[in-house]
Amino acid sequence: MLLPSRHLLASLVCTTVLCSAPAYAEMTPSLNLSGGTGLIDMPSGEAQSDGAFTFSVGSVGPITRTTLSFQISERLSASYHFQTWRDWDNVIPGDDKISDKSLDLRFLIVKEGEVLPAVTIGINDFTGEYAYSAEYIAATKSLGERIKVTAGLGWGRFGSYDSIGSPFGDRPENGVIGRPNVDQWFRGEAAPFGGVEVKVTDTWTFKGEYSSDTYTLEDDERGIIDRARPFNFGLEYQKGPNARYGLYYVHGTEIGFALHLILDPKNRATGGVMGAAPMAVKSRPSRAADPEAYDGEWVTQPDAGPLLQKNLDKRLAVDGIVIDSLSYTATTVQIRIRNTRIDAGSQAIGRTARALSHLMPASVEVFEIVPVVNGMGASKVTIRRSDLEELEYVADNTTLLRERVTITDAGQAPATAIAETDPYPDFWWGLKPAFRLPQPLQPEVGLRLSANYSIRPGLVIKGSVYGRLVGDVDSVASGSLLQPVRSDGARYSDNGNPALEELTLAWYARPAADIYSRFTVGYLERMHAGVSGELLWKRVDNPLGLGVELNYTYQRDTDGVFGVDEYDYDVVTGHVSAYYDFGNGYLGQIDVGRYLAGDFGATVSLDRIFVNGWRIGAFATVTDATAEEFGEGAFDKGVRFSVPLNWAVGNQTKQTFGTTLRPSGGDGGARLNVDGRLYDSIRDYHTEALDPEWGRVWR
Amino acid sequence: MGQGLALKILSRLSAAVIACALVVGCDKAQLSPMMATVGTLAQASLVQFKEKRAQSAGVAAKPVSRAEIEAYGIPILRAVVEFRGADVLLTLADTKGSVQTWTTTDGTTFTLRDGVLIQTRGLGPDVLSADAPTVGQLLQNGATYQRRYFFLGADDQVSRRTYDCTVTVVGRETITVVERNHSVTHVKEACTRPQGSIGSEYWIEGNKIRRSVQSTSGLAGLILFERVVD
Repeated sequence: MLLPSRHLLASLVCTTVLCSAPAYAEMTPSLNLSGGTGLIDMPSGEAQSDGAFTFSVGSVGPITRTTLSFQISERLSASYHFQTWRDWDNVIPGDDKISDKSLDLRFLIVKEGEVLPAVTIGINDFTGEYAYSAEYIAATKSLGERIKVTAGLGWGRFGSYDSIGSPFGDRPENGVIGRPNVDQWFRGEAAPFGGVEVKVTDTWTFKGEYSSDTYTLEDDERGIIDRARPFNFGLEYQKGPNARYGLYYVHGTEIGFALHLILDPKNRATGGVMGAAPMAVKSRPSRAADPEAYDGEWVTQPDAGPLLQKNLDKRLAVDGIVIDSLSYTATTVQIRIRNTRIDAGSQAIGRTARALSHLMPASVEVFEIVPVVNGMGASKVTIRRSDLEELEYVADNTTLLRERVTITDAGQAPATAIAETDPYPDFWWGLKPAFRLPQPLQPEVGLRLSANYSIRPGLVIKGSVYGRLVGDVDSVASGSLLQPVRSDGARYSDNGNPALEELTLAWYARPAADIYSRFTVGYLERMHAGVSGELLWKRVDNPLGLGVELNYTYQRDTDGVFGVDEYDYDVVTGHVSAYYDFGNGYLGQIDVGRYLAGDFGATVSLDRIFVNGWRIGAFATVTDATAEEFGEGAFDKGVRFSVPLNWAVGNQTKQTFGTTLRPSGGDGGARLNVDGRLYDSIRDYHTEALDPEWGRVWR
Repeated sequence: MGQGLALKILSRLSAAVIACALVVGCDKAQLSPMMATVGTLAQASLVQFKEKRAQSAGVAAKPVSRAEIEAYGIPILRAVVEFRGADVLLTLADTKGSVQTWTTTDGTTFTLRDGVLIQTRGLGPDVLSADAPTVGQLLQNGATYQRRYFFLGADDQVSRRTYDCTVTVVGRETITVVERNHSVTHVKEACTRPQGSIGSEYWIEGNKIRRSVQSTSGLAGLILFERVVD
């Protein structure tokens, strides 16, 4: 994970301060101490707005929960919790467990209507140690614009106080930790809960609830809090659309507080993408007015090509666009570009077309723009120059231009391609601060030295060295029953600092139409070295992609240098993958094959990609490694997100900030972290990614 | 060229001018003062920041005189973008027939067809494209037509708003644009759609729009334009 996080954080803070809207006509669904939509301890029947991404910190006495929640769709949402307990060993000395991670899911069954309340069904901590395991159904109804009433029925933790019996039978014992505890869902004692929310002013809200959670674990078993009463009260302050603070009196004994940061990926902090306007399209004189301008004789001039490329280079450099090659006839130009800065492919294409309109002689009517990623042409966007000229100032030019543009397979570069100012070999290096989050709430700050040497298009040597400057590592030997292909991560961090993260030679190519290939050899990632090959079939305008990958790797030594002897472990891994774009930004992927610890299985993942680049997803891997072999967590699963920095700061940059969060780590279901996998490299320039953002071709 | 010029700042036109000009309703919250601050976050770097810096340094921004503006010998359009807290002088970047694109020194552009705004770039919430009435239509009391705006939104997607518009000619007036008086026809344009309404106003000298307060995106609100130097 890379990071100029300072920018992001600064801007997040700014958004909370600056984006305040004057007033809210209606009550927004608020969040509870656990970062889920709800009252104080209890959930409500509502959902956040589609796509909402919230970060919450809730603290009551010695218990602190940090939560990331995401409204995956209008009805489905997920929360990832990281919780810590102080004084956990009060009653059982020496038991030093201090933290846990868990996942919640909730689904809005009924949307609120004139008469009907909003109804939500949810399962909390459904794969963890069940410290927070609970299920519920909750209904919330607004009474006017200032009052909301919630009533619900809870099981598990939420059925632990003053239950009405067990409507669906007894609750069985915990199953395997990490597996969904399906057998327990909605079993055992059920108890009612409820509460009220009153919007006192536009910014202040009062909450009161009757909680059906008796805190057996924290009160009776651990003695870290004293839960005396089922009534909780609180006051919350909404500061703009992005921040909410809460102060609570809970259990009749404790004071609690909460901070919520609410982000809407669909809304840029700046209201729209920033950055300078493009240069205007240059119109040609009409053929009748100046027939000579349309004479194609210029192609015979030997210095035309170099001159054109030099001038184009100059114009495109402003937007970080690099020309890989240029070829032309009297009527058609093909320009192959590398887009190094603009986050939207369509904008890079638009800017290139505008530059061509200024520099290509009038006889050139067809612009073929080929975005190149890792030396591979990702697609070919063909724009007629007269369309560009005609539509520049026409209303709805986005739709009109798209109707006339074709996007096809890139094909090979024409043999006539010139490269007078040959961009290869190309070398760059950088030394940047890096921020890593190997564990929740255990950030570390270091420096990363990276270098990249492109020998020719598609042939790249790259490497990076990372050194940690700030941050602690608890080096614990893995207790894994499998080969510790991942679980020795802390040993790697501890023993190798600084460490060579990556040193590879990669060859990317386009062996045939719609086929992409990658071959990588070297120190592929921090823990594994060897060879990795990949083939991908993906048509430019087809939502389906199919790929195969085969790797042979040795586990690297922990000291971060070149050795591969410490573990004496080598393995052949590989996957068959299918990628499918369901539309509306939902992207699914299935990988079936063999993982690093030698286990066989499959990974299913679903990501939601917003047009402006936000990406949030979840994945799960099930393999033939047993739950015991895998260790805590039973199988690999987690959530991941990636935020484009330009969403927050508005500047032209392709950089992102993101991480993957797992409730528990293990060695089963672990894949090689090889850089430059094909699908993600080229997708940006295929129609399913270009079309939703096509408006930016005119930006 | 233009660097020093556009960075000079006219005396700040208060929100009152725009507010007064706006008699017909507008989509709510267009002029939220908080939104102006978003501009700071966005580092839009329209010229206002120079003024702010000058103010914080205890130096009041000096009003620019017509003589100073005219000394450059090029056409100048003034724009007051309330939501960015910006008051800037623009120079011509492109002319194609009746369409003119005006730019700030940092590359925020406003494209007008016969003086009616059809595109913005670099504001953040931009007008990607739009239909616009002709000056002839605007001078015709009771003229009706449809207007379409295509916005590039915060989610990077294009949204469309279609309005039915009616022109009301208010009457003859004399206005002052940077020390110079102009005899103009004052015109109001009221546009409605089921979800809300917007309004623009134009002060037309002969067949040329001398001053206007025009609606843009819901977030960017109203922009005042004054053609200072022809």
